[in-house]
Amino acid sequence: MKEEALTLPAPRFFIGPEDVREASADAALTAAEAGPKIITRQLDFYYGENQALFDNNLEVARQMVTAIIGPSGCGKSTHIRVYNRIYELYGDQRATGEVFLDGRNILDPSQDLMELRRRVGMIFQAPTPFPMSVFDNVAFGLKMHYRLSRGELADRVEEALDGAALWDEVKDQLHRPGTALSGGQQQRLCIARAIAVEPEVLLMDEPTSAIDPIATAKIEDLINTLKSRYTMVIVTHNMQQAARVSDFTAFFYQGRIVEFGPTTQIFTNPTKKQTEQYITGRFG
Amino acid sequence: MKRRRPTGRRLLNLLVSGFAAGAAGLGILVLVWILAGVVQRGVGALSPAFFTHLPAPPGIPEAGLGNAIVGTLVLTLAATALAVPLGLLAGVYLAEFGQDSRLADNSRFSANVLMGMPSIIIGVFAYALVVLPLGHFSGYAGIVALAIIMLPVVARTAEDMIRLVPNTLREAGLALGAPRWKVTLSILFRAAKAGLVTGILLAIARVSGETAPLLFTALNSPYWMHSLGEPCPNLTVTIFNYAMSPYTDWQQMAWGGSLLITFGVLALTLLTRFSLREKAR
Repeated sequence: MKEEALTLPAPRFFIGPEDVREASADAALTAAEAGPKIITRQLDFYYGENQALFDNNLEVARQMVTAIIGPSGCGKSTHIRVYNRIYELYGDQRATGEVFLDGRNILDPSQDLMELRRRVGMIFQAPTPFPMSVFDNVAFGLKMHYRLSRGELADRVEEALDGAALWDEVKDQLHRPGTALSGGQQQRLCIARAIAVEPEVLLMDEPTSAIDPIATAKIEDLINTLKSRYTMVIVTHNMQQAARVSDFTAFFYQGRIVEFGPTTQIFTNPTKKQTEQYITGRFG
Repeated sequence: MKRRRPTGRRLLNLLVSGFAAGAAGLGILVLVWILAGVVQRGVGALSPAFFTHLPAPPGIPEAGLGNAIVGTLVLTLAATALAVPLGLLAGVYLAEFGQDSRLADNSRFSANVLMGMPSIIIGVFAYALVVLPLGHFSGYAGIVALAIIMLPVVARTAEDMIRLVPNTLREAGLALGAPRWKVTLSILFRAAKAGLVTGILLAIARVSGETAPLLFTALNSPYWMHSLGEPCPNLTVTIFNYAMSPYTDWQQMAWGGSLLITFGVLALTLLTRFSLREKAR
């Protein structure tokens, strides 16, 4: 992991050690010691002429789950799509500002995109299995980023499927097409595919909005297991889900971050009126 | 307000659907008529010798179109080998990289125009491009002409099929760190496979019956094909020559050749439908 010393401007939402301890006692020390994994500074985002994000400042704590909530169209997905620069697929979208990953600004044009996306994985709203076998789905990224022997590859695929709590269900059908799995299994396949390349951050863009409640519960369990190894950012429409799985919560409204803090505080004692109204279901 | 009488409406409906059904029936009738005619007159020409022997002067028994069958197969396959990689790449450019750029817009427009161009003009073009510089008719010239006809068909269907692949799949590939070319080759091509195969088969079906472009390029030959550098025997020009001749046994051979080509194209079209159905599953 490359780390560059950088003097950062003072954070707007400062997460002190106290907040972290409140969120998760055992991870507090490491998190406080190493500082936030991702620091966003004055991030603006444009779809052509339309500005979608305004002056976003956010710190994503290391090896914790940060939830992003807010009404439809408030910029939640747009925000996390900057973290792996996936928006660059579309020519008319652009971001300005700074996003530091371990102290290095990933919006810098010199940032290697392949490496950034290996380090920052993404899970999408609808499961997106590739049109190939279950095994090849997971091996796809592995073969691209690592030089592995046949045996090593098989081991790593198993490890990743196991990590995504899918191995037991698919170990006898590794050569069936990934698209033949159920929706929930497909989404866990996508998680396996993402964690196979050993990312540091996992971005989840409403990962359970297209699957049934039982499959959702499995994925939430998985998120809880995975957070000991990965820094996670999850965009969700479901406030109960944010409360269940996250340590920190950011409330977005109309492209701005209205409030950010430990999840317990956001849900029990929000400081902003808009946050309280949204959480109690009065709008959005 | 005066209400229209429901019986009148019902009558109109009956009339319009009657016309529509009639038109459809007429189309099918013509197709069946052609197929029946070709089978009825051509089937007598088919014999083992038809496939294995060389053409013979009128009146000589045991003549065949073996050389022309081989020639048509070689010309079509070679044109496919030339046009498919180029066409696929052009389709990828139009769908993925060029999109709405000027170059892409112009290429797309040119491809559309090229698709509607009479094939005889493409034959004359290949004549000027290959036959004149070489000084004689040749299989190469025929291949170039057929490939030019296939190219826009492959490119445009490839573009349409690749565009149909949802963006979420592109994003998922890129999000794993794959470069754009890798996403295209390993993911989009696979996702669009059935459609791409369909486009290629349609292009082959389109050229396998072409006569005019070959008249100016590959011409024809009564011998087995030895090299693509000389005039090449082929079914369509042979049919043209034999059908125009006054000899009944040559005319019979022309019917046999027509039967072969017609059912070859029919088989390709059925294969296309089958591969599309595969995709729908």
